[in-house]
Parts: sequence; C-alpha cells; structure tokens
Amino acid sequence: MRIRSLARFVRQNLRRNRRNFVFAGVGIVVGISSFVFFIGLGSGIQRVVSTEIFPLEANRIQVVPRLMQFEDAAAGRVIGAAALAEFARIPGVAAVYPRMKLAVPATLAMVGNRIDPAEIERISRMPGVRPEWLVAVRDFNSWMEIMADGVDPRLVAEDAVFGAFRDPEPGRPVPVLLSKRLVELYNSSFAKSRNLPPVNDILIPYLPTLPLTVNDSFVSRAQVHGEKIPLGIRLVGTSHHALLGGITMPLETVRKLNRVLRGEKAADTYESAVLEAESSARLTSVQEAVKALGFALDTSQQRMAESVGFVVTLVTLGFSLISLVMVGLAAVNIAHTFYMIISERRREIGLLRAVGATRRDVRAMILGEAALVGALGGVAGAAVGTAACAAVDWLAVRLLPEFPFKPDHFFGYPWWMLAGGVAVSVLFCVAGAFPPSRRAATLDPASSLSGR
Amino acid sequence: MSPPQDEDILLRAGGGKAPLVRLRNISRSYGTGSGATHALREVTLDIDTGAFVKVVGTSGSGKTTLLNIIGGLDTAYEGTAVVAGRELRALGDGALSRFRNKTVGFVFQHFHLLEHLDSMQNVALGAFFSGGEGVDSLRRAEEVLVRVGLRDKLHKFPGQLSGGQKQRVAIARALFNRPALMLADEPTGNLDTRTSGQILSLFELLNREDGLTVVAVTHEDHLFRAATYGVRLEDGRVAEAGPS
Repeated sequence: MRIRSLARFVRQNLRRNRRNFVFAGVGIVVGISSFVFFIGLGSGIQRVVSTEIFPLEANRIQVVPRLMQFEDAAAGRVIGAAALAEFARIPGVAAVYPRMKLAVPATLAMVGNRIDPAEIERISRMPGVRPEWLVAVRDFNSWMEIMADGVDPRLVAEDAVFGAFRDPEPGRPVPVLLSKRLVELYNSSFAKSRNLPPVNDILIPYLPTLPLTVNDSFVSRAQVHGEKIPLGIRLVGTSHHALLGGITMPLETVRKLNRVLRGEKAADTYESAVLEAESSARLTSVQEAVKALGFALDTSQQRMAESVGFVVTLVTLGFSLISLVMVGLAAVNIAHTFYMIISERRREIGLLRAVGATRRDVRAMILGEAALVGALGGVAGAAVGTAACAAVDWLAVRLLPEFPFKPDHFFGYPWWMLAGGVAVSVLFCVAGAFPPSRRAATLDPASSLSGR
Repeated sequence: MSPPQDEDILLRAGGGKAPLVRLRNISRSYGTGSGATHALREVTLDIDTGAFVKVVGTSGSGKTTLLNIIGGLDTAYEGTAVVAGRELRALGDGALSRFRNKTVGFVFQHFHLLEHLDSMQNVALGAFFSGGEGVDSLRRAEEVLVRVGLRDKLHKFPGQLSGGQKQRVAIARALFNRPALMLADEPTGNLDTRTSGQILSLFELLNREDGLTVVAVTHEDHLFRAATYGVRLEDGRVAEAGPS
C-alpha cells in the first residue's frame, strides 16, 4: 500500500470517527499541554539560574593557585607574569584575563548629607524617582569596610556600559563594577526595606561619586601600614565577573595601589585568571594543561549552578512525569477507542482483506490513524500549553512581589519543547494503538466477513 | 446433476479447458477434539476456466467455507487447493493478499459496501492495495459501473442506492481488477425475486460474454438456472455434481 493511499484511508477514517477521537484526544491535549507547561517553566527557571544567578560560560575557566597539600611538589605556585605567559602558550587558549586582589583593606563612607545637593537635585529630576528615596538618601549613613579587586577590562567590556572601565587619570574617579547578584539582592530586599532607590540601568548614570579610602580599616588597624589613599569611585555597570562582596576596579588601578602600598611582589601576584578557550570543545585539553602546570580550577560557580540546575531539573522532571502519566492514561483511552472502532469495523476489515489488504496494510492504517490523532492532539496540546505559559507568565510578572532574581519571564519556549510535546503525543498514541492494530491485523478475514 | 462418477475428480466443470480451481481432499473443521465441527470433508473438485458453477446445499453444509477456501480467505484447511496455478496454503500473507486482489473477485450477500465512500470509490477500493490508485483507477471504476448498468449512480453513496443497485456496485468492485474468478456468496440472499433475476442475468452475461469463471453459492437453487454446472453439498461432502 502506497503512502498516499494510506494517508487517504487514514484521513477518511479519522473523519468518520471524529467524535470518538475528539473524546479520546482530550486527554492527550490535557497531558501534552501540562507537559509543555512544566517543561516551559523548568526551562525558564533553568535560564534564570544559568544566566542570572550562576552564569556559566561554555568556553571559559577560572584558574587559581593550588592549595598546599602534603607531598605536593607542584603546590604553592602563585599566578604571576610568568604563569600568565605560560597560560597564554597553552594550545587552544584564546585569551587570558588576570584578576588581582587589592592587597590592603579599604573603607567606604556613604554619608547622605555629604552628597553634593546639586547631585541630589539632578537625581530628583529623573522620571520615576520617588521623593521618599531622596529623603532616605539624604539621611543615609553607612561606613563600611569593603573588599576590592581588579579585573582585566577586556573581560568586562560589555558590562561597563555607563563609563569607560580603565585606570583613570590622576584625580578622576575610579570606575567600578558591582556584582549583578549583589545588586539584585540589594534591590529586592535591602533597598525596599530601607526605602532606598534601586540600583538599575536608569539610576546608575546619576549615582554620585563616593569616597573610598584605600589602606584603611574599621576592623583591624594592625593590617594598615603606611599612608591612606583617598579615591573617588563611580559605578559604571554591573557584571557577573565583579566581586560578589565588594567592588571591582580596573586591573591597572589595583596593580598601582598594590605596588605603592605593598611593593612590587604584590603588584605581580594575581588572585586568579580567567582562561578563554578557542572553543568549548578545547576546554578539556586546556583544563588538563592548566593542572599539569600546577594550578587548580575554581569550579565553585559551576558546582553551584549544577546543584541548583539539578534540583530544578528534578522538579521539572517530576512534573513532566506526572504529565506523561496523564498522556499515558490518555493512550490507554486511545487503545480502548481503537479496540471499540476495530470491533465496529470488523466486517470492513474483512472486506479490505478480501480486496487485497495485507495484515501490514491493516496495521499501518490503524497506526496511521493513531499517529494522526497523536499529531493533532500534540499540536493542540502544545498550543494550549504555550498559551497557558504565556498567560501564567503575564500574571506572574505583574502580580508576584519583587524578589531576588525575579525574571522578566518565568517561562522558556525552546523549539524542542513544542516538537517534543508533539513527538511524545504521537509516540504514546501509536503505542496505545499498537495492541489493537495487532488484533485488527490478525483478524481472520472469513470470520470477520461473516460476523462470527 | 448426477452422483459423482470419478472418486478423484467429482466435478470437471468448464468443457475440457484447463482447470482454474483444483481442490484435492479438502477438509476443514472448526474447534478441536470431540467438539469439532467438520465444515468440509474430503472434497475433491476441479473447476475449469469459463465455467459458471452453482454450489447449493442446506445451511451449514459447507458452501461458504468452500468459497472462502477457493478465494484464499481461509487457509486453515487440510488437502490441496490450487487456484490459478497457486497452492494457496503455501502463499505468505503478501502473496495471498495479491492473489485476492488480482485473481479473485468477491460478491457477498450483505454487499459489504463502505458507507462513507461513493460508488466509484467503493469499486476502486482494490486499487488502494495494488498501487494503482489514481486517474486510471477511477476510469476503470466508471467503466465497470457502466458495465453493470449504473451509469447514473457513479457518485451515489450506498445509503442512496437500492439493494439491487448496491449488489451491482459490489459486482463492479469484484470486476475492477479483471479477476479470473468471481466468487459469489448468496448474492441474491438479500434481494427480492425480480432484483435477484436481474443480478443473475448479470452473472450470466459476465460469464457468457466476458468468459468470467463464476462460482456462486446459494440455497435458492431454482434461481440459478443460468449456471452450467452444479455441486450439491451435504454435511460437508459433495453429494451431487454435474451439469445443471
């Protein structure tokens, strides 16, 4: 039997039994729509985890000095200029981005009434700025000791969107980056509870220059030797590469400060280095080479992402399994429907066998009908599921209160989710129709025709 | 008809032409053990090409079983059944289906037309399984419908046809693939006397003018005067055979 003939038969039979199939297909639509819904939700949350909370870069690794261990001859190597040169020579390495810790403590004084009134006035003219924010800023008093580090400006080039991220001219404010995660936590909890303005792309360009004192400490005066260096710092953006609990400056600025305050060795000792491979496929060999040089890899970010991702995947899988059980039950219903239809069409099947249909033709007809029911049910289910995703997304974005890392969209719509929904539907329907199709194919034509 | 003369060949129908159907010691029973029903017992029969054979007998005498075996619808028999040169039991499902599609045309008492298809589509049903679906098959369907006198019913659905017209569509369906053998199981069983006469005349015409071999099962012996040969079955055995 040719495919065209089969398709025609299948179409005709489906039209004839559309009422039965509509009832049987409702279960498929419900199951597939919930499958699409949960996969969409899981995919959306995974996206937030992997891009916002613990962003992973497929072709980058972070190299750190190896901790000293017993009988570990290679341990204790620091990352200096020589090590950076060795990293750059590793085959497959496209770029090396060193990171240096500020070797001395620093303090930041944020005193609201010291902020230039002209700056406050400028901020007050911003659209969306609430008067209570200005009051809170004026009353705000905070002295804190903070950590700082410096990164290669190339690594954060895309993040420094509100000013050049490079070592400034003497007397000019130092551009700094804040961690996206830190800003998210500040915006969604601290700022709200204190009525402070959020740090966002609208306000960042208007934030005032803040006074930073390098080589100063509220915690341990013993660490402080030599002169204090006052600097102005200005926020130029947020970055996943910025220090989580501190500020990130241009590498050259930190190098100069370390040299002045702690000498040449401190100016050539890096905390870590990000290595960028030519492609993600070369990452493994680069990792091996790094280890062979006596350094370690900082995989804490990756492990955190994997842990959270695993939990999200597990929950998504759980809900998807429930959906699949629903589709499975619908498939059982499909099987019953086909058993009933075959019983009704018994004489017809006998006739088809009499005019030349093989067992395989009969089976193909039944399975073809099931596949078409599955495809139509799957498409309808995917459409309903996508619509449900969009509706819940719309409501969630508007109705849920702000919380850290609240995404703009809770759902993802990967193409494979929709294709997978349709494929699962077809698969389950065909599986459900398989036993009835076998029975139909093995019907004895003579007794079918006689109705025995 | 007279009692069988030859113990090997009970009927040689067709005037000496090559036998189209060759049955030897055909037995068929349903069930096993003491509860088994013997539908046919040791039937030996030859039907020559071009013969018009009626098979008569009381209900349960094995007529339909015989027809099903000749038509390849039932292969669970004992003995040898060779039709158009093929031993039916030796054929696989594909070959047996091709045999039913190309060599045999079936006509049934209950017509077995598909209600959702019109006359043309019902007639061309066999084309779906012979790979010949298309314009040619529709042309052939029209040709055979005209041949059976349904020129004006080409696109009527079974629900719009009378019993006689339905049976004519079924006959056209049986003729569609130009079979060598037409097997009719009680073809007039659901028709009134006048319509039965018309259908029988059609069988006679097809046998006489087209040389089609016809084997018709009936319990209305008197209606099949056109048949040239007759077989009477009793309790699964050939009780009587010969020219009618």
